Amino acid sequence: MTRDKTPTERTAGALVRPFLSGDGAGGVDGAHGTDDRADAPVPDGALRPFLLTAGRVAGQDSIAIETQVVTTDTGRTAVDQLGFERRDIVSLCGNPLSVAEIAAQLSLHLGVVRVLVGDLSADGHLSVYLPNADASTDVDTLLRVIRGLRAIG
Amino acid sequence: MVSAQSAEVGGSTRRRPPLPVKLVIAGGFGVGKTTTVGSISEISPLTTEADMTSAAAGIDDASKVPGKRTTTVAMDFGCITIDESLKLYLFGTPGQDRFGFMWDDLAIGAIGALVIVDSRRLDDCYPAVDYFERLGLPFVVAVNRFDGAVAHDLPSIRWALAVDDAVPLITFDARDKLSVRDALLVVLDRALAKARAAQTER
Repeated sequence: MTRDKTPTERTAGALVRPFLSGDGAGGVDGAHGTDDRADAPVPDGALRPFLLTAGRVAGQDSIAIETQVVTTDTGRTAVDQLGFERRDIVSLCGNPLSVAEIAAQLSLHLGVVRVLVGDLSADGHLSVYLPNADASTDVDTLLRVIRGLRAIG
Repeated sequence: MVSAQSAEVGGSTRRRPPLPVKLVIAGGFGVGKTTTVGSISEISPLTTEADMTSAAAGIDDASKVPGKRTTTVAMDFGCITIDESLKLYLFGTPGQDRFGFMWDDLAIGAIGALVIVDSRRLDDCYPAVDYFERLGLPFVVAVNRFDGAVAHDLPSIRWALAVDDAVPLITFDARDKLSVRDALLVVLDRALAKARAAQTER
């Protein structure tokens, strides 16, 4: 999610960007992250991604990678008062986006996005649509997906 | 009735997002997961790749995969809009075992999985097969026809993988959109059969 962008592609807030000095700056720390949210290696010397979240990694477990996020009217109004990453997320989600897309487009760690989205939702800046847990085993939904795929030509 | 989407958290919004559903595209290093996602996704796959010479040198064995210079170190994904209220996401698993702990993120709540196999390196897909068997997620084993060829016949591959006879074993071409579509449809068939069986039990 984060390793493909060079620091120069980002300006504001670049000082706390995860994997900032990642250009071959040493070993991949395979043992990094005893929690299962820390899902990317951190090169030596890089600032830790969860600096952006004041060290919190828990986030909301309910926020899945495909969870849809939309900016609220409150968020639209408040966007200028928000800090770097928070502003980026609120600006980006004028149309619904998944958490995974937010992470990819902003070159942010997925776990970081989860925490920030949880915060922004708690503040009323974002609406978070939790996926219906039964959708993937719902016969009607599956039939719709099958019809949709068959329509691809 | 709120059937498509359950709880909404937060304030009001103007546009209701689609219901997201997802499929997992799994398999070993260099089997064509990214190609598969890219063949059918309506957006360019959002992929994170690191050059083999830096991050992954000495960890990933690319010697068996001629021409492969980079490897996916994070997930890559794409999407297909089914209709205005339903969107299918395709999530490729990270290519290396050491990212295995991320698989739960991808697999929990998924419709099913396509396990892609390179018939020259069958053992690469064992972790994926094990994982989905344990999770009870419907999956299909799909042999990628590199250059139109499959190194072993399907019965031999099934024997080598020791997958249940009920698990579909197919061949497909990761570069071909319709071939990928058909492979995904086999996964959907499996998921549908399972969902219908569960429905009858109730």
